[in-house]
Amino acid sequence: MENPLTLEPLLSIGPVPITAPVAVTWAIMLALTLGSWLATRRLSLQPGKLQTVLELFVTTVDGQIRDTMQTDPSPYRTLIGTIFLFVLIANWSSLIPGIEPPTAHLETDAALALIVFAATVWFGIATRGLKGYLATFAEPSWVMIPLNLVEQITRTFSLIVRLFGNVMSGVFVVGIVLSLAGLLVPIPLMALDLLTGTVQAYIFAILATVFIGAAANGEAPGDTSSKTPSQAPTQETSNQETETP
Amino acid sequence: MHLDWWTLGLQTVNVVVLLWILKRFLFRPVAKIVADRQAAADVELRRARQARAEAEKARDAARTATSDIAAQRAGLLVRAEEEAEAEKAKLLEAAEAEAEAAREAARAELDRMRAAETQALTDAAGTLAVDIAERLFARLPEEARINGFMGGLVKAVSALPDAARAEIASAGPVRLRAARALTADETDRLEASLSEVLAHPVEVAVESDETLIAGLELDAPQAVVRNHFRADLDLIRQELTRHD
Repeated sequence: MENPLTLEPLLSIGPVPITAPVAVTWAIMLALTLGSWLATRRLSLQPGKLQTVLELFVTTVDGQIRDTMQTDPSPYRTLIGTIFLFVLIANWSSLIPGIEPPTAHLETDAALALIVFAATVWFGIATRGLKGYLATFAEPSWVMIPLNLVEQITRTFSLIVRLFGNVMSGVFVVGIVLSLAGLLVPIPLMALDLLTGTVQAYIFAILATVFIGAAANGEAPGDTSSKTPSQAPTQETSNQETETP
Repeated sequence: MHLDWWTLGLQTVNVVVLLWILKRFLFRPVAKIVADRQAAADVELRRARQARAEAEKARDAARTATSDIAAQRAGLLVRAEEEAEAEKAKLLEAAEAEAEAAREAARAELDRMRAAETQALTDAAGTLAVDIAERLFARLPEEARINGFMGGLVKAVSALPDAARAEIASAGPVRLRAARALTADETDRLEASLSEVLAHPVEVAVESDETLIAGLELDAPQAVVRNHFRADLDLIRQELTRHD
């Protein structure tokens, strides 16, 4: 079986190697771009079925952001919605034979986590100012500065590892079962992968919301307990305990 | 753990590009149409609230108008009752006055009828009395019907003024009416008596008139001297039937 931690370039553009996750990501981007463009060409005040689904998705994202951050969701809508949509489509891409989801590779998850980290810093500074944002690291006491700094890194790292571990393990398990049993045996595991992929996309998006909300709305870095919906930390913990390999 | 930095960079760029694409083609247009619909709904809600406020205002106005109408109605009813009472009292008063006038008229008419009846009865009684007297006087003896009245006639002539007596004496035969034709003796005695009171010899021209019943009547141009029952009865009748 192929080592999931190694990436072989499919082709190279000059010095830049194009690996499978990048290629699949481009395909997903193309599909999302075409789908979005086609779906939003003829929006009207009297929505059809597809428009209704799109509006339901956007308003649900807004509702999650509003519930979590207690603020206007519009500045965060694109980031959180894109993360959720991309992670979901990437996770579900494993259902296509021969396609390995980009999120099963560390580079994709790290890229997403870095963007979330950058967004956390960006929105924190944009909301509080540079001085105010830096002052949050000294809360509740300056003694906490090292711990808060370390937490910034560890929680970003936890985002990476959580998503990578769950998706990669699913792909790995399905591959092992497929190699050992018949064609139809992995189907329940693939169905489980659908559920796992959805849950992981939700968790990644909601944690990104919590981190950004904590930085932007006055919570100390890493203090997610009061802002996070009660389900989120519990879910995060349970996933770490039960699903992280 | 091996990390492909090229892939990491490309994926980071990919996600950033995807952020821009989805913002441009998905989230912005959908959020805009949702906001537009919300705005349209807000407008409709505002209109509905306005319409509701207007309806409530109209309802309050209608309630006020209803209460005003009820108050006006009560006032009109009270006023109508008062006017009806006043009209009733006026009509009763007029009816009583009219009835009183009718009673007065009936009473006057009754009095008038009673008076007329009394008058008629009195007339009838007077006529009856005269008729009775006539019948009684008709039974007098023939001599008494002239002789008993001759002295009275002479006495009445003597009571006339001198000028009247002189004119009667000088006018020629004295015209008399008697209840019956006079005998020669009665005529002589009458001429003698009259000549004595008139101080002039006179002759009499006697005309019989049974309507006198008894007695004589001197009929001269200057004076008329009546001494007979007819004159007395007529006088009595006048007295009886006179209404003061």
